[in-house]
Amino acid sequence: MRKGLFLITGLLALGGCSLDDGLQPTRSGFSGTIRFKNAWPAQTDQVLVVAATRFPPSAIADIVMSDPLPLHQDSVDYTLFTTPQLFAAVGVVWKEKNQPWDVTNLIGLYFDSDNLFNPGKVHVRNRDEMVENIDIEADLSKAKRKVTSGIEGMLRTRGEWPPASQSLLMVASKPILPFGLLDISLGQPIEAPFDSSRFFLNLQPGTYRLVGALLIEKGADIGLSSVVGLYYKKAGDLFPGAITIASDTTIIRGVEIHIDFNKRPFAG
Amino acid sequence: MKQLYPLLLLFATFVFSQTEGRLSGQAVDAKTGEPLPGVNILLVDTAIGQATDLSGRFELSGIPAGVYTLRASMVGYRSLQIRSIHIPAKPGARFTLALEPILIQEADVVVTAAKRRQSIQDSPNSVGVLTSRDLVQKNEIYLDKMLENASGVNFIGSQINIRGSSGYNYGAGTRVLMLIDGVPVLPGDSGDLKWDLVPATQVERVEIIKGAGSALYGSSALGGVVNIITKSATDRPLTHLRFSAGLYDKPSFPEWRWTDRLLHFDDMDVDHSRRIGKSQILLAAGRHQSTGYSQNGSYQRMNGSFKWFRPVSTHANLTLAANWEAGKRGTGLMWRSQRRALEVSPEAVGDHTHSDKLSVNAFHQWAARSTLAVKTRLSYFRNYWKNIFHDNITASTAQKFGLEIQGDYQRSAVHVLTFGTEETWDQVQSGLVGNHDQYGLSAYVQDERRLLRTLSLTLGGRYDYQHIDTGFRDEKFSPKAGLVWQAHSSISARFSSGKGFRAASMSERFSDSIYSGLRLAPNPELRSETAWSHEIGANIRLGTLMNLDIAGFSSDYWNLIEPVPDEAQNIQFINVTRARISGLETMAKFNPGIRGLTCDVSYTLMNPRDLSLNETLAYRPRRLLQTGLAYQFGPVELSVDYRYISRLDQVKLYPMDDRVAQKTVDLHIGFQWQAWHLSGHVYNLFNHNHTQMERTLMPIRHFVLTLRAAV
Repeated sequence: MRKGLFLITGLLALGGCSLDDGLQPTRSGFSGTIRFKNAWPAQTDQVLVVAATRFPPSAIADIVMSDPLPLHQDSVDYTLFTTPQLFAAVGVVWKEKNQPWDVTNLIGLYFDSDNLFNPGKVHVRNRDEMVENIDIEADLSKAKRKVTSGIEGMLRTRGEWPPASQSLLMVASKPILPFGLLDISLGQPIEAPFDSSRFFLNLQPGTYRLVGALLIEKGADIGLSSVVGLYYKKAGDLFPGAITIASDTTIIRGVEIHIDFNKRPFAG
Repeated sequence: MKQLYPLLLLFATFVFSQTEGRLSGQAVDAKTGEPLPGVNILLVDTAIGQATDLSGRFELSGIPAGVYTLRASMVGYRSLQIRSIHIPAKPGARFTLALEPILIQEADVVVTAAKRRQSIQDSPNSVGVLTSRDLVQKNEIYLDKMLENASGVNFIGSQINIRGSSGYNYGAGTRVLMLIDGVPVLPGDSGDLKWDLVPATQVERVEIIKGAGSALYGSSALGGVVNIITKSATDRPLTHLRFSAGLYDKPSFPEWRWTDRLLHFDDMDVDHSRRIGKSQILLAAGRHQSTGYSQNGSYQRMNGSFKWFRPVSTHANLTLAANWEAGKRGTGLMWRSQRRALEVSPEAVGDHTHSDKLSVNAFHQWAARSTLAVKTRLSYFRNYWKNIFHDNITASTAQKFGLEIQGDYQRSAVHVLTFGTEETWDQVQSGLVGNHDQYGLSAYVQDERRLLRTLSLTLGGRYDYQHIDTGFRDEKFSPKAGLVWQAHSSISARFSSGKGFRAASMSERFSDSIYSGLRLAPNPELRSETAWSHEIGANIRLGTLMNLDIAGFSSDYWNLIEPVPDEAQNIQFINVTRARISGLETMAKFNPGIRGLTCDVSYTLMNPRDLSLNETLAYRPRRLLQTGLAYQFGPVELSVDYRYISRLDQVKLYPMDDRVAQKTVDLHIGFQWQAWHLSGHVYNLFNHNHTQMERTLMPIRHFVLTLRAAV
């Protein structure tokens, strides 16, 4: 009787000493303050902080979300606990009632410089580090309601794709020269390379004076120089063509965008 | 010695009469007087033989004059030889013979691998068996928890993986088929396994067939088959009672404490069986409730079972069975954050699901001739659920009707033909997938014959046709082949190869909903996924000292259905993956030389490859280790189980999250006093924190006290 008991007790003691805790709570992350401007849309369901390891994110796997933030406040302090990693962008995402999450529905982004096309990176280096002062200004007027309106058409490329090409994004901006990323409506990434590809860019009603394609390159910042193709009403036009979306259901079809990698519209 | 469990404490009386050139008789259960079917009767050194029919009768004819030895054998009974039988014999001569009863291991006999009763060593497939002793010792109330202890099996959430077959697809469809008493119970809408339909207290044994089994069982038997064999009614009045109560410990870290309440659970189960006239009846009922260890983890469940058995003639019997379960459970898709791992998002607090499941089966067995048994199964399964979530309320009712007619033709003592046809009709009315009908028709045949005295061959195949009301049609043929070589009375080798397939579930085809901000998009054109499984294995038995089983396996998968987020973050199920899972499984049961001590060890090493992406297949571990040590001294039994599942190399949804191996130790102590059994259990003794599917922490340490009685 003793032998068996000793054996089981011994094995249990051995097991107890050799087993670790397994998963532990995350104690690292980043924190800051979000200042909201403009009125809260009535259809607001949730607002939260999103951090993306790739910008723009192309899958749920690329993002980490905070708890929902308190609504109808002028300013909110937040903390996002996350495992150590380098985030390419941190933003504030708006979610409409009864609609799924759309991580491109950004109302604010964290910037660490004056370049409003280039989101600030946040690096959480170890499991004990809490990066502070990741402050964000969120503009509630940028919240995009669910609409079916937009533009659809074809992207055609010419020339060699740059070696670091990751994807192309359709973009549209109401001002002809956007001041930053938040002035731009972003489409879903289209994986590079391709000769031609159909696209659909979901847009809110309004007149868009700049419609084009943005190249995402590995390791490169995003800026106006990332724009690789623009929409022109007809070949030889000096200024990009404007497109007006009249209502929530308007779809403008047949939008052709030619991309020549040797001639970027905003090169230099 | 305790592992030698008496399955059938019976002995039989043989009565046979002889006429000129003929030999006939009947095998009966000497204890109950009931006929004993399936006894192999053979005249030694001849090819003359047959199995007794359902009324226990046999008749050998055309026997040339001479002196013979008759051998009668059946699993669970000591083989009997009667020497010096003279043919022709005196007309009307009658002999009464008694077979000595023997004790056998429950695990020695299986019914699933060949759709008929056979010795486990005659099966060309790897078969795992959990016996009623395991069920009592582990004390789990739900079968998925029980099956975690089986060799080569691991779970991702509620999805069972046999040798890595299933991965994880959010509960939409399963690559392992679940049967209750041989009848498939996958609901038409979600096509997933309902582990709570039958509580473990009503289970006699569970058989796990590893590898593709579609050649006999059709869709979903891609990675294997789990057959849950429920308790039979008894002759004498017998009542079982089980009361169980438990507490969850505090989480390991203060950040994870989400409530000051005492988190607890309790179970109550009772069943009664008896004979009434010629009928045997079993009635069971249970209530199970828990606060859960995590937010939204609570449940309240009720269940009931009914089984009625009656011989309807000397050649036929009928079984009616019903299982019902209904309840309410909290639902949390994933944790709030790893910082608050036992909480759900604030908006999801209170999300819950109501469910109501009913399965009804009628099973008729008829010995049409002494060599032909016809089995007819009629089945009905209804699965109702209603999700009451913060962002949607959805309900679904899925009904499945089934009819199967199976014939077992015993051409000789060494040649059995199994054939049949199966028809299913699924009707779904669902807020998740819409209203749809699905019809399936299939036919199968399997030929098992002994080629040489020590070599058996199995060949078989099944044709399945499926039609959905959208106009979608699909058909599949699933062949199989197997060889068993009995090299020695204690050593056997086996080889098997078989094809499996799984038709997409309606959830995968037609789901169109939003949950927690994620949208599921439909894909009505999903094709069936298919697999080829190959296995080569050996089994060595050294009496009660050791049982060693080794198997090498390889499964190739085509068109695996996986959930994939598209550019717009809609999650859609599509045929994407070509994969291969190969590996080695070893299982040993032995006595390490200390009286009363037994040891079980199983180790599975796998190489799961996604051949499309040339990377490790998502949600598959590379190594599984299950060990168990049990020590019996007097009326007390002490046992420890350790389970290790290596860290998942790949996951789909949140690859950046922390992932760790699963290391779980469970401790059990039991005390038997006459008809009473008191046991204490500690699950996850060392409080190891891990996930299976992403962002869901598995149960933390909990303590259970259970009282059982059989009166």
